Amino acid sequence: MPTPVKMPRLGESVAEGTVGSWLKKEGDWVERDESLAEIITDKINAELPSPVAGRLAKILVKVDETVPVGADIALIEENADVSASPPAEAAPGPDAAPVESPARANVAVMDSKRAGDGNGSSAAVQVSRAGEEERQRISPLARRLAREHSLDLNAIPGTGTGGRVRKEDILAYLAQQEEAPVAVGAQFIEAATPVPAAQPAYTAPAAVPVAPPYVAPAAPTIAGEDVEIVTPSRMRLAIAEHMVRSKRTSPHATTVMEVDMTNIAKWLEKNRDDFKRREGYSISYVPFVMKSVCEGIRKVPLMNSSWTEDNKIIIKKRINLGIAVATDMGLVVPTIYDADQLTIAGLAKQVNAVAQRARTNKLTVEDIQNSTFVVNNPGTFGTIISVPIINQPHAGILSMDAVVKRPVVTEDDAIAIRYMMYLCLSFDHRILDGAGAATFLQAVRTKLQNYGREIDVY
Amino acid sequence: MSAVTYLEAISQAIREEMRRDEAVFLLGEDVGTYGGAFKVSAGLLEEFGPERVIDTPMAEAAIIGSAVGAALMGMRPIAEMQFIDFITCGFDQIINMASKMYWRAGMPVPMVIRGPSGGGVKGGPFHSASPEVWFFHTPGIKVVVPATAYDAKGLLKAAIRDNNPVLYLEHKLLYRMPELREELPAEDYIVPLGKAITRREGEDMTILTYGAMVHQCLKAAQVLEQEDGLNVEVIDLRSLSPLDREAILESVKHTNKVLIVHEDTLTGGIGAELAAILAEDLFEYLDGPITRVAAPDAPFPYAPPLEEAYLPNADKILAATRKLAAY
Repeated sequence: MPTPVKMPRLGESVAEGTVGSWLKKEGDWVERDESLAEIITDKINAELPSPVAGRLAKILVKVDETVPVGADIALIEENADVSASPPAEAAPGPDAAPVESPARANVAVMDSKRAGDGNGSSAAVQVSRAGEEERQRISPLARRLAREHSLDLNAIPGTGTGGRVRKEDILAYLAQQEEAPVAVGAQFIEAATPVPAAQPAYTAPAAVPVAPPYVAPAAPTIAGEDVEIVTPSRMRLAIAEHMVRSKRTSPHATTVMEVDMTNIAKWLEKNRDDFKRREGYSISYVPFVMKSVCEGIRKVPLMNSSWTEDNKIIIKKRINLGIAVATDMGLVVPTIYDADQLTIAGLAKQVNAVAQRARTNKLTVEDIQNSTFVVNNPGTFGTIISVPIINQPHAGILSMDAVVKRPVVTEDDAIAIRYMMYLCLSFDHRILDGAGAATFLQAVRTKLQNYGREIDVY
Repeated sequence: MSAVTYLEAISQAIREEMRRDEAVFLLGEDVGTYGGAFKVSAGLLEEFGPERVIDTPMAEAAIIGSAVGAALMGMRPIAEMQFIDFITCGFDQIINMASKMYWRAGMPVPMVIRGPSGGGVKGGPFHSASPEVWFFHTPGIKVVVPATAYDAKGLLKAAIRDNNPVLYLEHKLLYRMPELREELPAEDYIVPLGKAITRREGEDMTILTYGAMVHQCLKAAQVLEQEDGLNVEVIDLRSLSPLDREAILESVKHTNKVLIVHEDTLTGGIGAELAAILAEDLFEYLDGPITRVAAPDAPFPYAPPLEEAYLPNADKILAATRKLAAY
């Protein structure tokens, strides 16, 4: 009996995937875990390893066709000699750097979270953008052109047979690069506005994604004398869709609290360089805030929850913090699992690791799913107040804005120069009210302000 | 002046060269009284007499051997093979005598061996040969394959005037093809040996071909432009030996993809050598695999449906170009 190959789940609640290309033809023999097809979602392209060894009997989903997660996309006729092997379980690709989170081994818990998923083998997918090994499908000419222009072949999508990179792909990429300054400018403006689009909520809820109207406008937009038309990248379109959907899904309310970061700032000034030298990775305000957010969630567990389709609230017991990372391609929000169980140094290490993976395009599927709450740091761009948009299906999102020195009236009515920061929390008003949000923020603030001059980050 | 066929162009070249140079003469089976199996030499006996238009016995070794001897004595013989398939009977004279003489004895052998080659006329296994690759492989002999009336005349004149043995392969399917009729220049001209010609310019892919396949390739190229928006460059090699490496490399450098088409069988064919040259010299200019369309490795079939299946044609070329374009 043929074994069906299913559309994998390439992200916590991504509902569908597109077949980018078939790497095998009908009738071809495939080994177990050998790549069968390239699957495209909004955030990552992944190669789908075959769940079993056998002959590819039938391709059920054509290239460029999009089907729901769990749908059968091919049938593999197993050889009688080869015992049926269960689908590979969470096999990370050779390039998938191990996630050094103590929670990583706890696969069962993660799986149980995918309630009603019905696709336990979804993790059997590896991110195809291998870093160490160059991608295989590339023409000799494209290879030379990439070398001459110092391009990273792994960053260039191929349009040839089997996803091969060829001349026109390199030329298109170069042309796109020439337009890049425009895009950078746009990002800058976005970051500079008081309302930064927080991060892409690429993890769609169980709801069937609605075709976004801006993807297929009713009337074609025509370039005029004074305007230029830019076709957004796939990622830009995904961000746009998720932002609109998030705003439509959750009634956002935003509340702001001011935090005195003086002790942490002074500690960082004194210890930052030593820490970096000693540990090999840097430390910033971010892990302190993350640690305090965990404290806040412990106090207000509703902040770590989701409103469901059938009007229930799911409170999640694990605290997996998403952290927004700006990359050349756009914003991504990798997950730091069980953040509450890490020390500040441990959090710093994880933040560095995922940011590194994000910037080198090596995030694994696991890296970008299962977050329960997001911490965003637009403060690095100099913003002082933000109104972030919730990363669905979360209950809230916290922006930490810039830490700036301000004259502050202290408790004993003196005026002092203190390191101040606004914490801006957007929350889903269906799930909790201002009081709950404020309680959460207070807990975060108290934790941050309670650090003394000497801080044990371990 | 009226438009002439490919066959008439060959005829003109022989006549004009015989008029121009008394050393030029024609020998072969039925070339005199009968005027040649395809009437290439019709009227020559009347004009030049039996000493310069010689009917020979059915003995290719003798025809070619006599031509070698005459060439050594200062003549410029044109040896006709009634069908090029039978050149194998004279193989030793070509390989061991004609092609090596200059290296052995320092004596040039200015001679032309010509005859009808190629299939598509339901000629069966003994009257459809494309024997170019045996001689292409042999140093010391030039091989040319005209695809148009203009080239048929110009290349034959150049071959007759060349001081080396030249194998001149005319394609019998083209002999009287109406669409190949063209007006030729009134004045004397030659088409230099060793020079390819671009029959159609394009930037998406290069097709390297020669002989009757030139026309199939042009047909496919037209379809590709209309249906696929692809601009395919078609290069007619004209001379296989010596090859116009410069033209080949320049075109492929420009288009980055190359399809090689020949009527001869695939293995060890002209395409194999071209592929090797391209892989060696232009590897990093290639945006797709060097692809060949050729006859299968089997003797030429007789049954018409088999012949149809056996020969490369525009449809097979189209399929290959589309696959290569998508690569």
